[in-house]
Amino acid sequence: MAATRRLQKELADIRRSGIKSFRDIQVDESNILTWQGLIVPENPPYNKGAFRIEVNFPAEYPFKPPKINFKTKIYHPNVDEKGQVCLPIISAENWKPATKTDQVIEALINLVNEPEPEHPLRADLAEDYTKDRKKFMKNAEEFTKKNSEKRPAD
Amino acid sequence: MSDEEMEYSDDDFDAYYEEEFDRDVDHVDPQKNDPEYFHVACLTDTEVERLLNESVEQLSNSIQVTPSLAKLLLHMHGWNQMEIVAGYRQDCNRLLTTAHIKPPTPPQPSTSAQQGDGETTCPVCLAPMSPDNSSHLSCGHMFCKDCWSKHFEVQIVHGASTGIECMGSNCQVLAPEDFVLPLLKLPRLREKYQQYAFSDYVRSHPQLRFCPGPNCNIVVQAKECRAKRVNCTACKSQFCYRCGNDYHAPTDCETMKRWLTKCADDSETANYISAHTKDCPKCHICIEKNGGCNHMQCCNCKHDFCWMCLGCWKTHGSEYYECSRYKENPNIAHESAHAQAREALKKYLHYYERWENHSKSLKLEEETLAKIRERIQEKVMAGTGTWIDWQYLLDAAALLARCRYTLQNTYPFAYYLESGPRKDLFEYQQAQLEAEIENLSWKIERAEMTDRGDLENQMDIVEKRRTTLLTDFQQG
Repeated sequence: MAATRRLQKELADIRRSGIKSFRDIQVDESNILTWQGLIVPENPPYNKGAFRIEVNFPAEYPFKPPKINFKTKIYHPNVDEKGQVCLPIISAENWKPATKTDQVIEALINLVNEPEPEHPLRADLAEDYTKDRKKFMKNAEEFTKKNSEKRPAD
Repeated sequence: MSDEEMEYSDDDFDAYYEEEFDRDVDHVDPQKNDPEYFHVACLTDTEVERLLNESVEQLSNSIQVTPSLAKLLLHMHGWNQMEIVAGYRQDCNRLLTTAHIKPPTPPQPSTSAQQGDGETTCPVCLAPMSPDNSSHLSCGHMFCKDCWSKHFEVQIVHGASTGIECMGSNCQVLAPEDFVLPLLKLPRLREKYQQYAFSDYVRSHPQLRFCPGPNCNIVVQAKECRAKRVNCTACKSQFCYRCGNDYHAPTDCETMKRWLTKCADDSETANYISAHTKDCPKCHICIEKNGGCNHMQCCNCKHDFCWMCLGCWKTHGSEYYECSRYKENPNIAHESAHAQAREALKKYLHYYERWENHSKSLKLEEETLAKIRERIQEKVMAGTGTWIDWQYLLDAAALLARCRYTLQNTYPFAYYLESGPRKDLFEYQQAQLEAEIENLSWKIERAEMTDRGDLENQMDIVEKRRTTLLTDFQQG
């Protein structure tokens, strides 16, 4: 199966690369179509914590795109309360079979570090982010400290 | 013709008629006589296919590209050959890049991992591939044919056809027909792809339009995109060429859309008027309207009144017919917000009621047509005239339907028209048209053979009023 062969290779490559901002990748041996991992952002206010995500690959992968969900609550204009995230690279219209998961994860980390208030999923946060950055930062930092995962030691 | 008349010399005859004839030539433009004139052709998909292929062939010959690429270029440029040829002569690279036929930067030698023996792996499925079972577009991104097939299948099921791109990350190069088709294994998919592509081509072609009729496969061709009436020769549906909705002259497409949205939003407020019964203003007996004509006569007291305003019909003579006009309160600007809101609703309801009422009249007059047919049958059987003698009555009913349809569509136009001399003129003409239409409807419902001359005269008047209004307030 194309999906299995590709995902095994992609998983091995990502693990080998030792990327710092996406780690602790857990994949169930019996189901390679679901990955979990920890996003470790660098930019404030999200650098006060880490965020668990789940990546779900469809059976038709890589001809259809994966879906990403946040398992950890995050105060972010582009992630809604259910943990759904709007990432153009994995929308059905833009998806390319040759795009690899490390590119998708990279795009996600960039989005977490640099919110895009022009395409918000949470309009209220996007408005604070553009109009009252101080208030946004304060709320986001408090929220992150309270709700996010512990950052890995190294 | 008498012998005396025959003796006129041929010269005189020619001189007289030629002059007359020359003058007629100036008036040949059918648009001048008929404001609704619009030349269209109803084409089948084979005819459209032929039309498109002609353009493809011409372009393919003039700039030396494959027919498949020519088709893609035409699709991207709204089938404007001149523009493409000019662009090609000016900077062919730029033309092909902006049409997503070539990549913005020249392709790299190979993007996939080389293995020792010249074999490579497909970047999508990671299986080994040889030059025989792999292919690439102008961007050079090489993938195995199985992956291409699977990619096209997913895209086609998703509804894509002309817009299918290369599988490479961030690569926007389009896959032309002659690349896609050989890689589609299932005949069902190939059919779907061609069907979707055909729809895309028709939609990008400025002179073509799908007939909106249910399950109709006709494509309508017109030289210009105008808000004019199209009659589909296959499914008989009538529609506006520009917006594809019901024909709506004299109102323009945008105003009609606004009006229909407003009516849908306000349907609850407007619902109360959709009752079919009203009380006679004189004897108060309950009357159900069962004919299209708005000139009512109470079956009980014989009082003549107007169904719309319930006023005496005597005041609806053609010279001072004002039932269609909305009389605005001149001091409304100084009234309270409540009063203004009430006034706004009153104004809307005035126009909506009339618009809705004519729509109902149109339906009732369809029933009248059935009754006319029965009546003709009876008359012919009784020996009162032949079928041909009675033909005029059917013509009259058809004309009535056409005129009432236009009249119905004058109400949204009037509602959005700003007060001023133009609106005054419009509402004057609208009133005239309405008065004559009710006259015609009244006469048709009561026609006996002896009325023929009178009825034909009335038909002429109504149609003149209609074309005058359409000519004076012509849209797009």
